[in-house]
Amino acid sequence: MITTSTSPLLEVRDLCVDYDVGGALALRRRTLRVVRGISFAIAPGETYGLVGESGSGKSTTGRAILRLTDVSAGSITFAGSDIAGLGRTSPLSYRRAVQAVYQDPAASLNPRHRAGQAVTDVLARHGVTDRAERRRRAAAAFEQVGLGNEHLTRLPSELSGGQLQRIAIARALVLSPRLVVCDEAVSALDLSTQAQILDLLRERQAETGVSYLFITHDLGVVRHVAHHVGVLRAGEIVEQGTTSRVLDSPSHEYTKKLLAASLSPHPAGRAARRAARVAARGGVAA
Amino acid sequence: MGKLIAYRLLFAVPQLLVIAVLVFSLTYLVPGSPAAAMLGSAATPESIAQVEAQLGLDQPAPERFVDWIGGLLTGDLGTSFRSGVPVADLLAQHVPATLSVVAGGMLVALVLGVGAGVWTGTRPGTMTDRVVTGGTVLGLAVPEFWLGLLLTSLFAVQLGWVPIVAWTPLTDDPLGWLRGIALPSITLGVTGGAMIARQARAAVVTSMAASYADTLTAAGVSRGTLVVRYGVKNALVPVLASAGVTLAILIGVSFVVEKVFSLPGLGSIMLSGVIAQDFPVVQGVVMVTAVLVIAVNLLLDICYGLINPQARPQ
Amino acid sequence: MRTAFRQPSALFAVVVVAVVVIVAVAAPLIAPYAPEAKDFTAPLSGPTSAHPLGTDDLGRDLLSQLIHSARTALLVAVGSVVVAMLIGVPLGLVLGYKGGWYDRIGSRGLDIADALPGLMIGFVVIAILGQGMAVLILAVGLVFCMNFARLTRAITLTERNKGYVESARVSGLTAPRILFSQLLPNLAAPLVVQAAVFLGSAIKVEAALSFLGLGLGEEQPSWGGMLGFATQHTADHPEMAVAPGIAICVTVLAFSLLGDAINDSLSGSRRLRRTKLLGRVLLDDDTSRTRDDQATTADETPVTRAAGTAEEPSGDLVLALRNVDIVADRPDGGTVPLIQNVSLTVRRGEILGLLGESGSGKSMLAKAILGLLPAGVRLAGGSITLNGSELAGRTPAQLAALRGTGMGVVFQNPQANLSPVHTVGRQLIDVVRAHDATISKEAARTRAFELLDLVGVDDPERRLDQYPYQFSGGMAQRVAIAVALVGEPDLLILDEATSALDVTTQAQVLDLVLDLRDRLGMAVVNITHDLGVAAETCDRVAVLLRGDLVETGEVHAVFDHPGHEYTARLIAAYPGVDDESPRLGTHDQRKVEHA
Repeated sequence: MITTSTSPLLEVRDLCVDYDVGGALALRRRTLRVVRGISFAIAPGETYGLVGESGSGKSTTGRAILRLTDVSAGSITFAGSDIAGLGRTSPLSYRRAVQAVYQDPAASLNPRHRAGQAVTDVLARHGVTDRAERRRRAAAAFEQVGLGNEHLTRLPSELSGGQLQRIAIARALVLSPRLVVCDEAVSALDLSTQAQILDLLRERQAETGVSYLFITHDLGVVRHVAHHVGVLRAGEIVEQGTTSRVLDSPSHEYTKKLLAASLSPHPAGRAARRAARVAARGGVAA
Repeated sequence: MGKLIAYRLLFAVPQLLVIAVLVFSLTYLVPGSPAAAMLGSAATPESIAQVEAQLGLDQPAPERFVDWIGGLLTGDLGTSFRSGVPVADLLAQHVPATLSVVAGGMLVALVLGVGAGVWTGTRPGTMTDRVVTGGTVLGLAVPEFWLGLLLTSLFAVQLGWVPIVAWTPLTDDPLGWLRGIALPSITLGVTGGAMIARQARAAVVTSMAASYADTLTAAGVSRGTLVVRYGVKNALVPVLASAGVTLAILIGVSFVVEKVFSLPGLGSIMLSGVIAQDFPVVQGVVMVTAVLVIAVNLLLDICYGLINPQARPQ
Repeated sequence: MRTAFRQPSALFAVVVVAVVVIVAVAAPLIAPYAPEAKDFTAPLSGPTSAHPLGTDDLGRDLLSQLIHSARTALLVAVGSVVVAMLIGVPLGLVLGYKGGWYDRIGSRGLDIADALPGLMIGFVVIAILGQGMAVLILAVGLVFCMNFARLTRAITLTERNKGYVESARVSGLTAPRILFSQLLPNLAAPLVVQAAVFLGSAIKVEAALSFLGLGLGEEQPSWGGMLGFATQHTADHPEMAVAPGIAICVTVLAFSLLGDAINDSLSGSRRLRRTKLLGRVLLDDDTSRTRDDQATTADETPVTRAAGTAEEPSGDLVLALRNVDIVADRPDGGTVPLIQNVSLTVRRGEILGLLGESGSGKSMLAKAILGLLPAGVRLAGGSITLNGSELAGRTPAQLAALRGTGMGVVFQNPQANLSPVHTVGRQLIDVVRAHDATISKEAARTRAFELLDLVGVDDPERRLDQYPYQFSGGMAQRVAIAVALVGEPDLLILDEATSALDVTTQAQVLDLVLDLRDRLGMAVVNITHDLGVAAETCDRVAVLLRGDLVETGEVHAVFDHPGHEYTARLIAAYPGVDDESPRLGTHDQRKVEHA
C-alpha cells in the first residue's frame, strides 16, 4: 500500500545541525557542523531509508526531526507547518504525530516499570484519563505487535530482545502517529528476530499508512524496507532516489563503494568481488 | 605537556577565585552580627561597633572584598580577633606540621593502597583477596583518631619507641621529625590506603578482564609482564584521577588526628577559631587549605596526563 | 535477595545494625544509670562491678554513656544523610538531566567543592551557626551532599540517553514526570546503597567532631566525646578508649557491609535470573546483541558434508576439537551446558567460519581453544589439539608455552583489544620480546615497524608512538592483528573482529585477513554472527545453535543447500543488498516463509 501524494508529510530543507565541542573550560564556543544542509521529503505511507556509516550524521538528523536537538539552519516542515523553530518544547499535537523506535532493546523500556506502563504512560500524557481505558488500549497495542496480555505485566528483564523491540513499536504506534523515526531499530537484533521485526513494521504500515524514517548503516535492511533512500556521508546526502534506482544503478562513487563493501549472503562470485574491491583501492590488497 | 600545565593553571585561577568569594562571604552567613557572635555574652553595643569596624563590617561588601583579596595577594590575611596575632604568622607556624603528616600519610596510603589493590586485583576471589579486601573495609570503618590513640598507647606509652609529644621541625632535626610524624602518617595512611586499595583493585580486575589482556596473553605475553606492566599502570589511572580528593580528605582527617598526637598543625588553630568564632583565622585556614589542595591537584593532573594519554588536551 | 543475606558478613551487618537501633531506642531502659548521674564516690573508678566500664572524672557511668551515645550517633547519622540526600539528589538530577550549561557550571562547582576537605565544611558550618543538634546534622549533611549530587548526576547522565527516556521525551512527557517517574526509580537502588554506606561515614564524622569538642557539648553523651575524654587519660586509664572506639568501628563497619549486602542482593537477584538463562543467553560475550525466544532447538545429529571433516592426514591439521563439552558452574553446585559435544577441524591455510547468533556459545568455544575461559566456566570433556598437542587439562603455564607461538586472537571491540594507556609500539615490542627475550631494543622496534607495515598501517614509524585512542576502529583492529601475528601463529582466531566496524572498513579488514592467509598460510577461525562475513571469507562454515553444532561443510555447499532447517532459516532471513527475492509488497509471502 504505497500512497503517492504530491504534498509530502515531512519535508526537510537545507537542514544544518551543529554540536558544541567547547573544551572543559568552555571559554569560547566551538561548534562542529554534523549535518550540513541536507534536504529530503517523506510522503505519507512511505518509508525513507537514511543510510550512512558511523559519524555521518544520520542519527542527528533523526534527533532534529524528533525535536531532541536544536536546528542550526534550514527548515523541517511537517504536514505543512514548520517545526524547526519550535524549540525543544514542541506542541503535544506534534508529540502525538511523530514517534521513535531506538536501537538498544534492553534500554528502550524503563527497567523498573512493567512493560504495559510504557504504553499507558504515553496514553495518560495524551489525554486518556480513564485507567481501564488505558489498560484496554495497551492490551490492544500489544496484540497488534504480536504480544499477549501476559506480557503487559512483565518486567523488561524478563523479556527477550525481540519482545522488547515489539513493545517499543507498540508504544510508538499506540497514538496512531503519522511518522515513526526508526533509529537502527533492528541493528541489535539477531538475524531471525530482525526479519520478524521488519515484517511487523511493514505490516503496521500497510494497515495504518504510517510513514517511517528508517535510519540504518545496513544497505541490506534498506533494500527490504525503504521506498526511497538517501545516502549520507559526513553530514551530506550524496545521492538519493528510489531504492531500486540508488542500489541497482548508483551514480555516486561513495554509494558504489558502500555497495561493494556490503557483504553478500552468498559465496558465489566472491573472488570477483574481492578483486573488484582491491582494484577500487588502486590495486592495494587491503 | 606544556599545554596541559597551562590549561590546568588557567583553571586553578577561577577555582581559587570562587573559593575566595565563598570564604569571604562566610561572615555574611552568620545570623545576626558576627561581631556579636564573637563577643558572646560580653557584647555591648559599643564593643560590637568597635569589632565591626575592626573587621571592616561597617563598609560596603564589594569594597571590603577588594581589600580582602588585595590583602590575600600580599599575604595579609587579617588579624586573629582572639589573640591579635596576624593570621599569616599563625598559618606560617602551623602549616609545616600539617604538611608533614599529610605528605607522609599520602605516601603511606599510595604504597599500601596500590600494593594491596594490585595484589588482590590480580587474584580476585581467592582467600588472600578476601582477607585483604576485608581489611580495607575495616580500614575505612576505623575512626582515624581512635587508631591514632591505639598507636600512641602502644608505641609511645607502652613501648616507648617514639616520644608522646613528638613534633620536631624538619629543619631542627630531620631524624626527630621523621620519628615525630611516623605514627600520624601511618594513621592517615591506613584510611587513605583503604580508599586507594578499593579503587586500585577494581581497576586491576577490570583491566585484567579486558579484551587486551586476552589478546596479549594469546600473543605470548607472560602473566608477570601483564600484571607488572599493564595491570599497575591501568590501576594508577583511577587512583591518580581521584588522588586530589583523597588528599583533601586526608587533610581534613589530619585536623582531627593531630589532636591525638599533640601536633601544632592547622587543626589546632582551626579548632580554637571555630569555637571562638574567630573568623579571620577560620577564613585563613580554609584559604590556605584550598590553595594547598589546588596546588597538589595541579601536580597530580600533570602526572595523570603522563599516565593517561587521553587526558592530554589535543 | 535472600541468598545475599545468607553471607556471614551480611548477617553480621543486619544483626549489628538491629542491635544498635534497639539499644538507641531503648537506651533509658537498658542503661544501668542515667548518663548524667554523678557518683562522686567513684570518679575515674576504672572497671568495677558497679561500673563495668568505669566512670569519668565526675563519676558518671561510662557504660550508660556508651549506651546513650548510640542515640546521638543514629540521630545525627540519619538526619545528616536525609539532609545530604535532600540537597544532593535534586541537584544531581537537574545537572544530569538538563546538561549543557547547567551541567558545565554545576560540575565545576562540584570540582571546586573537591578542593575542600569535607570535614572543613563541617567546621565552617559550626563556626557560623554555633553548636547544637540541628547544626551538627546540617554540618555532617553538607559534608556528604556533594557525593550524592555526583552519584545522582552520573547515573542520570547515563540513563537519560537511553531509549526509554528519549522515547518519553518524544511522546511529550513533561520534564518533572520524566525525572520523577522514569529516572528516580532507577536511581533508588544505588542511592539506598550509598545512603547505607554514608550512614556509617556520618557516624565517623559525628564522632570526629564530638571528639574535637565541636559536637553537642558535655550533657549529650557521644562516642567521639568519650574518646576525647579518654585521650586525656591514655597514661592512667588506657582502657577507657577501648569500648567507644569498638562501638564506632563495629557500627560503621556494619553500615558499610549493609550497603554491600544491599548492593549484592540487588545485583544478586539479577544474577539469579542470569543463572537461569545462562545456557541460553548470557555467557556469550556478545552482549550487545539479543536473541529471540522463537529460535528452534537443535537436532541431535549435526549435518556434516563435503570432504574435509572426516579424518584427515594429520600433518595438515592445525586445530582439532573432538567432542568438546563446556559447562558453567552454578552457585548451587549444578552446571549449565554451554557447548555440547562439538567436533571441528581446521587445516593450514583454511578459514573456518564459526557461525552463530548470540547465546550460541561461539565465543566460549574460542576462549576454550585459547585456554582463557573465564572463572566459573570450564572444559568438561573432549579434546582440543593444536598441531597435535593436547591442550585440554593443561596448567596455565603449560598452556602459555604451547600458545606462545601457536595462536593469536582479535576480539570485537577495537579499543578494548589494546591497552589504553600504552603506546601501540610499547605493546607490540612487549609481545616481540615475549617471544625473543634476547632481542635488542632496536631490533624489537624494527620488528614492530615491519608488523604494522604488514597489516597496512600507514606511516608505521609515527604510529608506533601513538596511543590506541588515536587510531580509528579499522586501524586499531589492524594493530590488534599485528599483535596477534608477532609469534607467526599457526592459528588466528577472530572473534567478531569486524562486527563493530563500518561496512567499508569491515570489507578492508576482511580483505587484509584473506591477504594475510594467502601470504602466511595460517589457519583462521572466524567467529561471527554475520552470514555475509562467512559467505565472503570462509572456506568452510560450522553453524552453532545453543551450544550444539548443527552443521559443518564447505561454504558453497552450505549456502546453496543448507542441510539443517536452522541454517536455511538464517540464510533466508539475511537482508542481502543484491538479494532479489523478498521485496516490498511481498512481505505477506515472506511471512509465510518464516512462519
